[in-house]
Amino acid sequence: MSVLIDLAEITKDYGHFRALDRITLQIHSGITGLLGPNGAGKTTLIKVLLGLVKTTSGRGRLLDFELGRQSREIRAHVGYMPEDDCYLHGMTGVECVQFVAQLSRFPAIEALRRAHEILDFCGLAQERYRLVETYSTGMRQKLRFAQAIVHDPPVLILDEPTSGLDPEERQVMLNRIRLLSRDQGKAVVLCTHILPDVQSISDSVVILAHGRVLVSETLAELSRPATPSLQIRLLGLPDAFLERLRQQEIEFLPQSNGTVVLQGAPDELAKVAWKAAKETGAGIRSMTPSRNSLEEIFVNAVRSEHQNG
Amino acid sequence: MADHSIFKEAPTVAMASPDGESDQSVHHLGYRGWSGERTPLWTRWIVISKVGIRRSWENRWLKRLLFFAWLPAVWFGLGFFLWEQAANYPEWRQIVTPMIQNLPPDPVLDEIKEAVQSGTLAKARHTVWSWLLNAFIRYPQPVLMVLVIGLISPPLISQDIRSRAFLLYFSRPLTRGEYLLGKMATLWAYLALITTVPALTQYAIGVVLSPNLGVIAATWDIPFRILAASVVLMLPTSALALCFSSLTQESRNAAFAWFAIWILGWFTYGAVSTAEAFNTQQEFQRHARDHRFRQRGAVEDLPVRQESVWTHLSLYHTLGRVQSWIFGFSKMKDVLASIAILVVITCVSLVVLFYRVSAPMRV
Repeated sequence: MSVLIDLAEITKDYGHFRALDRITLQIHSGITGLLGPNGAGKTTLIKVLLGLVKTTSGRGRLLDFELGRQSREIRAHVGYMPEDDCYLHGMTGVECVQFVAQLSRFPAIEALRRAHEILDFCGLAQERYRLVETYSTGMRQKLRFAQAIVHDPPVLILDEPTSGLDPEERQVMLNRIRLLSRDQGKAVVLCTHILPDVQSISDSVVILAHGRVLVSETLAELSRPATPSLQIRLLGLPDAFLERLRQQEIEFLPQSNGTVVLQGAPDELAKVAWKAAKETGAGIRSMTPSRNSLEEIFVNAVRSEHQNG
Repeated sequence: MADHSIFKEAPTVAMASPDGESDQSVHHLGYRGWSGERTPLWTRWIVISKVGIRRSWENRWLKRLLFFAWLPAVWFGLGFFLWEQAANYPEWRQIVTPMIQNLPPDPVLDEIKEAVQSGTLAKARHTVWSWLLNAFIRYPQPVLMVLVIGLISPPLISQDIRSRAFLLYFSRPLTRGEYLLGKMATLWAYLALITTVPALTQYAIGVVLSPNLGVIAATWDIPFRILAASVVLMLPTSALALCFSSLTQESRNAAFAWFAIWILGWFTYGAVSTAEAFNTQQEFQRHARDHRFRQRGAVEDLPVRQESVWTHLSLYHTLGRVQSWIFGFSKMKDVLASIAILVVITCVSLVVLFYRVSAPMRV
């Protein structure tokens, strides 16, 4: 994966308050979840990336452009969806999207055509002709997403894209993001508090706290437990199955609801488990390698930061 | 209301749904990349001003005001017509002469009166045209300008603050300068419509009615003076109006501040200048009663009444002084203070504007 954002020792102070503390970070293409508790510095980091605030020290690049010096070029190549409820007063949805497309240097007619196309994609049908002041929270969320992608940017920075959406719409929004990344090759920085969203679509995760980077790793790597294991859910009484495992000298931990966790390499254990099930007549309902949940990773990272800090 | 989300019911041609659904509405294209030709970099402020102009145009009071704003132009256009008729056809002088002679004493008007008396109207053409245009831009149009800007400018920035639209603007490749230029251009467009365009139209009427196109050579500077006077009217006023708009989230507060500064300035100047005139009159009467004064009969000894320095209390009169200089009816040394005031107002307003526009980004 190519490096999308490359930051070195970025520091941002607001008076005596240090919002970003010597951030050194590389974000690659794909979908990157940017996580952190409130006040961690996520929004400040986004503003630094967009050149909306100047850094106190440090340097960095986004695509081929230098932070701070080529802010306009960066903003031309980035689609930003702000968290705040911001809109253009007195305009209809389609006018809003056309307007921001024109600000990104689309010709007027082409901007209008593109606005309709993108609003279709974002699920704003007839609502596009309503004034944005009359939109519901979810509609405004979709409108902001449409404004972020209308100019076909290679990089998307989405700040809380699923907040204010109902569960069904949330899934649809995540699908849109996933498809933009997968089929259109767009790099996405997904800034959110909703950990399952990040877990479901992200390739890598960055966790910030107190303006410092605590974790920056691929999700696959983070999810891998310290001790590899295989989690099996069984149908019916597993006693014979467990006895067979004992005979094979496999370490396991029986858990509630007919679940048993086998300690060892998942690939090897899976073969043994299938064989044991066949021999003992036990039914296997599911078999998954054990993984660390993102919630665990997040809580551990933030807790260790508190203890150290 | 039907939801045409591709993920619920209609996957796209350009981008397949992960669910593998195949039915989709004909118009639905899904997400497609775009690689067309972009407009030049410098045109983005035009986009902002176009939207501002279009949205302001929806105000029906503005349309009515614009209609009335052209009525003075018709009146002054009549002046051009009469002068040119009198210059070309002697029989028209019977109509023009009494009108000119009844005008109050004034160095410029005296020159015009002399030209009428001596029948050399063509020689005074430049002076007359300049005088008419100066009067047009100096007296009725600034009043209309106050009303037009008062209708348009208050929501221009305050609404963007209230709806937090700055994030939408400045996450695009747009600078603060371009944003402000776009907002100012909205005001300039309407101000040009009530000052520059009618003034240039009057000039064109004058040229068309004159005996030959040779008058263009004699009056070539007047269009430039019109443009300069328009700039003097537009720059400080639009900067000040937008400054008020940027200081509040409520449009009505900005409108109140805008009208208040003109009305207060006008009335304060009116009160002070009335008191000054009263004092001058008292002084004159005292001199008149003075025996020695009557013996000498030296009325000329009385100080000539200059335009009061108190005009600077009123932005309306300050603008008028500078415009008068642009049309050649004042000396530069007499308007230096007025120019300085307008420059200070413009600069301070712009500094406040730049600060306020960037303020939401700094948090």
